[in-house]
Amino acid sequence: MNHAKMQGPSFIAHFRKYLLPVVVIASTTAVFIVLRDALDTTLVALLYLIPLGMITAFWGLGPGIMSALITFLTFNYFFIVPYYTLTVHQPTDVVVLLVFLIVAVVISQLVARAQAGLAAATAREREATQLYELSTALVGSPNDHAIAQILAKQVHAVAGGEYVEINITGSQSFSFQLPEIGPPTRPPELVVPIEAARDALGEIRLWRGAPAISSSERRLLQTLASQGALALERARLAQAESRAQVLEESDQLKSAILSSVSHELRTPLSTIKAAASSLRSNDVSWDSTARPELIAAIDDEADHLNMLVGNLLDMSRIESGALKPKREWNILPEIIGSVFIRMKHLTEEHQIEIDAPESLPLVPVDYVQMEQVFTNLLSNSLKYAPTRTIIRICARVENDTLHVQVSNQGPQVPHEHLERIFDKFYRITAADRVTGTGLGLSICKGIIEAHGGRIWAKNVPDGFAFNFTLPLTWNGAMPPQIPMDTETE
Amino acid sequence: MSNAPHILVIDDEPQILRAMRTILSEKGFRVTTASRGEEGLALAATNEPDLVILDLGLPDMDGVEVCRRLRECTQTPILILSVRDSERDKVAALDMGADDYITKPFGIQELLARVRVSLRHSANRKGEQSKIVRAGQITIDLAWHIVKRGDEEIKLTGTEYKLLAYLASNHGRVLTHQSILSHVWGPADADHTEYLRVYTRQLRKKIESDPESPQFILTEPGIGYRFIADE
Repeated sequence: MNHAKMQGPSFIAHFRKYLLPVVVIASTTAVFIVLRDALDTTLVALLYLIPLGMITAFWGLGPGIMSALITFLTFNYFFIVPYYTLTVHQPTDVVVLLVFLIVAVVISQLVARAQAGLAAATAREREATQLYELSTALVGSPNDHAIAQILAKQVHAVAGGEYVEINITGSQSFSFQLPEIGPPTRPPELVVPIEAARDALGEIRLWRGAPAISSSERRLLQTLASQGALALERARLAQAESRAQVLEESDQLKSAILSSVSHELRTPLSTIKAAASSLRSNDVSWDSTARPELIAAIDDEADHLNMLVGNLLDMSRIESGALKPKREWNILPEIIGSVFIRMKHLTEEHQIEIDAPESLPLVPVDYVQMEQVFTNLLSNSLKYAPTRTIIRICARVENDTLHVQVSNQGPQVPHEHLERIFDKFYRITAADRVTGTGLGLSICKGIIEAHGGRIWAKNVPDGFAFNFTLPLTWNGAMPPQIPMDTETE
Repeated sequence: MSNAPHILVIDDEPQILRAMRTILSEKGFRVTTASRGEEGLALAATNEPDLVILDLGLPDMDGVEVCRRLRECTQTPILILSVRDSERDKVAALDMGADDYITKPFGIQELLARVRVSLRHSANRKGEQSKIVRAGQITIDLAWHIVKRGDEEIKLTGTEYKLLAYLASNHGRVLTHQSILSHVWGPADADHTEYLRVYTRQLRKKIESDPESPQFILTEPGIGYRFIADE
């Protein structure tokens, strides 16, 4: 049923190819009959060659030859005396007829050959264009999926058909179909393997009942398949290379972490071990002034160790994407104040100025994480700024963004380091001079970015400043209204 | 000796148990230790300790669950031991009935202060609660609803007074955001931490000498607030 329907149009087309030339010859003949008295016999023969050439050009060699034979008969019948018979009286007319027949057939063949040559040239040009389009589209394709998609579209554009399926094998096997509805139940008419030098990468499956797939189309599809294979190989090589690069980088990072951690952890541990063991031995007498100092050293270094471990934990949480801010509407000065109290014993040699106006709106932040940000920025400033200089924390609202600056009068940072000081383990000075894990600022960056903000460093006229922004809206919402008491009790 | 308060320590780290036993015994407490949750629950049921110190990270059961099961049978104060960054667990345990928490690693002064506060609150629950709380210059009369600095009365709004009274009557103890909000504003507003932030700030301006570095109303980051009164 389906099969017969598909044959229908081609049968009609075939029938038309032979019927229409007959119509053309009949109408030409009719015109010539009307003008018969005015036309010479040889002129009629010449004029007949025009429709014959056109018929061959339009419908090909078969209809051309057929038309030549029909014309030979009509010419004899209508235009050679005696009219309306196929008999020939004059010997010259016999010559005219024979010459006409030969010329008509030769012209038909010549025209047909030229026509076929043109068609072949057009087809070659189209193939070339399609291949060019395919290779251009495949150049930028990053992965197997994109390549399969482009290949399917191109196969569909070249060959048409009801359904195209591209199967890709390898570490991730998958198939891409066009159109996306299910494939026909019958097996595909054409399967072209996509093969690389070493192994098969997949196949193109094409369902096209009619017209049957020609050998030139088959050849073209094979060329498309080999283009696809090249692109797939290229993409896989690029992926393997970038994987190798990531592994190498993470390896380098790991060894950087290990060397930094072992160095940083061992320093306080050495102090603790030395102090504890001398207290335990009888070297330090009970009433010595060294005693409380050793005890204080143990206590302080234990806190230092605790901070280092905390930083490492924070960093691993940021790296693994597990740092999710627990946002609440908070008062920024309260957060800054609580950091300031906690760090009071460290800030005695500097002058800390806090400039956060009372009119600041509530900010949607994680209280604990923001404390961490201020603690790290402040302790970094304390580390580098000379004693008795001013460290200033300033908060302002710009549109719906909070802008905070922590500035100090310490040394300026060379321009090329400004971007990189938020990188893990990045240090401007030699590792031994200033203690710390080299993680504090990258933790700040992780926290600020998890809040949807931005952090950067810049030199200011009298020193150096950290800046960060935080959105003042939370899921698009503005700070809430707080119900206030009106009277006092 | 048998009148000395009895403390049950539940922790899976032998080094911590050793240190706690040494320090607490030295301070005159009777100490029992358990290294697993089930063992701790059994000991709590038979020995009736005056205080339980409970590590949240036990190998055999969730610390919050231990807390819940303890509260099913006893009102003994529970002091939570926990590491930094587990605010969620701490809050869960506190809301489940634990009295206070202390973060590892901790100083011994801090531990002893928490132990004293927990024992005092447990004594207050049994007997008469003090009606007047003093914190530096500030006097809070919980019976007459009067707050004074020296002899001068401090005017507070209704909500401010309710907040201060709740904090002060639990002085020394941490109170979670949720517990304060549902007590002062009502359970429906238990999630509105911002109310608490704004009112605490107002209250600090009225009673603290330097509101930016408060001495009486302390913030416990990620957990809640703690009121510090004179001992």
